[in-house]
Amino acid sequence: MSDFSVRSDAVDVEQIMRQVRSRIREKRGVDYTEDEIKELASVKLERFLDPKGVRSDLLDQYRKRRESSTTARNYAFEDTTLYESSRPLLRAIRKLLNPILKLFFNPTPVVEALHIQSKLNDNYNQAEALYYELIHNLVLETTRLGIEVKNLKMRVESMSSRLDFDERRARALEGVVQYRPGTVAPLQPPANGTSTAPPGPGSNANDPDRRLRRRRRRGRRRPGGPGQGPSGERSQHASDSTGESASEARSERSDAPPPSNAGDSGSGSTDS
Amino acid sequence: MKLAVVVQRYGADINGGAELHARYIAERLAKHAEVEVLTTCARDYVTWRNELPPGLDKVHGITVRRFPVTRERDPRDFGRRSHHVFTETHSIGDELSWLESEGPTAPALIDHLERAGSGFDYVLLFSYRYYHAWHGARRLASRAVLVPTAERDAAIGLTIFKATFRNVRGIMYNSHEERAMIQAATQNEDVPGVVVGVGSEVPARTDPARFRRRHRIDRPFAIYIGRIDANKGCAELFDYFQRYAMTFPRGLDLVLIGNPIIPIPSHHRIHHLGYVSDEDKFDALAAADLLIMPSYFESLSMVALEAWALGRPVLANGRCDVLKGQCIRSNAGLYYESYSEFAETLYSLESNGPLHARLGRNGREYFTRHYAWPVIEKKYLDMFEQLRKRPASTPVEPLPNWMARRKRDLPPANQVLAAIPSGPAS
Repeated sequence: MSDFSVRSDAVDVEQIMRQVRSRIREKRGVDYTEDEIKELASVKLERFLDPKGVRSDLLDQYRKRRESSTTARNYAFEDTTLYESSRPLLRAIRKLLNPILKLFFNPTPVVEALHIQSKLNDNYNQAEALYYELIHNLVLETTRLGIEVKNLKMRVESMSSRLDFDERRARALEGVVQYRPGTVAPLQPPANGTSTAPPGPGSNANDPDRRLRRRRRRGRRRPGGPGQGPSGERSQHASDSTGESASEARSERSDAPPPSNAGDSGSGSTDS
Repeated sequence: MKLAVVVQRYGADINGGAELHARYIAERLAKHAEVEVLTTCARDYVTWRNELPPGLDKVHGITVRRFPVTRERDPRDFGRRSHHVFTETHSIGDELSWLESEGPTAPALIDHLERAGSGFDYVLLFSYRYYHAWHGARRLASRAVLVPTAERDAAIGLTIFKATFRNVRGIMYNSHEERAMIQAATQNEDVPGVVVGVGSEVPARTDPARFRRRHRIDRPFAIYIGRIDANKGCAELFDYFQRYAMTFPRGLDLVLIGNPIIPIPSHHRIHHLGYVSDEDKFDALAAADLLIMPSYFESLSMVALEAWALGRPVLANGRCDVLKGQCIRSNAGLYYESYSEFAETLYSLESNGPLHARLGRNGREYFTRHYAWPVIEKKYLDMFEQLRKRPASTPVEPLPNWMARRKRDLPPANQVLAAIPSGPAS
């Protein structure tokens, strides 16, 4: 998150809000409209990939289905199966009558087909066990990844914010050095090829005595004095009923202590 | 000049938005006119139970005449009727039954108003949606000045209120958004109206250090003041703030002042102080870095005005037209409509000193320019003067006959509300 530069008395809230939104857009990369988000959310694939979309009782359902279907999992089918019987006499009669049966139709393709089907059933059962393991592991992994992604997102958000803060603080420090009144004029490119513009009214940048005086004054300033809390955080508003001076004195803070010379950045009161 | 202020509840310790508004206005106008307050014996706005004695009373030097409520509100009946008229096709009769169910049903107050009405120059009716305002506006339209305190909720879409807004002599709006919404809903552009709002009894001096000592709050903080309720956007505020606190471990704390309706999350950076005195409230505002107003519906946020009066910027819910409009007009507050915006704007207010200071200064100027008591009083007096010169001409629109009142052809109020343009008024 970076700062808004407030350089004049006029603040335009709508302008600030436009900046806020454009910054959010930059961070997101693409700013989806509500309709686009709805369209994306309606894609089935998203739901499929979303670990939250997986039924929590999927595993149990799967187990139950397998257990219920064990009774009819497969059958053995050989070329003699058609004529088998628990009674040996009956089996013998069927074998005897087999040539007569073949006069009516050809049982061989039926036997072959059922034999192949039996083999296919075997393969299917083995594959189903593998699929079961695979889906089980996929669900576990997807859930684990989902949690990890969530954690990583939070870490990225946190780090991004801290990075923004550091950048902003660095800029603020640069600004303090460049724009502090009464010191050297800010570094500016020479206009129209001429030399650097002379210091503005009240500026004594070239006066070595004045610079020395300032250095001495700053040397006397105690850490933790007015405008700076003991822990480096901003001091309380104290008895300022209006709070304006406290607001003015507020500088970059919150996640890191303010720069030690932050008190100079606002009005430059030490010099003027 | 003699004025009557008619409001649903009244008392020194009754702090509802419209009630406090009415008390402030009555006390301020008492400097310019003879003011009498007509109200009910109720203290509780949910049940309207008679808790105060009927008859004459004095509150801060103002004569108050209380009338008993004849029927307490049955929340289940009111909820059922509200659901019917807000979401289903219904009749005028249904809306009138809803009004009776909402209360506070005080026919003696209306009868007194009709009898004694000629003795008043003007009758200020507060809160358009209640029994007293609807009946008062019908019985005494020629003297009625309405202070609607209307929020963007479904009640504004009820047909019975159109005549109320068209028949009164004048309307004192709380905000430009409120005026735009009422005019769009009722086509009452011909009725004289002015955006006034209300001032506040902001103390000349506050003591932030006293507040910090008393409540042992050392860290900088943002503050929310009001009922801690999901309707006020507090659930969303808690969610957003906890996410923000996770991102900025050393950022602002959140201090809550008010009675909780929803549970407050246990978080080391959220401090709930409950109900506090006015002195404490203003000390707290002065000690705070900013005020957060997460409410979706406001007709005028008095606490936001108080924050501005004390030079504190406001972070408001941008989905509330009034708050958003106030922020834009005053240039004294930012607003959010999502977590990303909440985090960005809160962070900016927290860390950007110059921005914070400018917004605070703008807030103070805005309050002084528009909501200082002399300004408010002048607007009321100007309105009375304008009405005095302009004769009451519009006759009261009669109610439909018995059969027509039972004809179910009115659209659901929610549907009417949805058709009303939203957004901050230009």
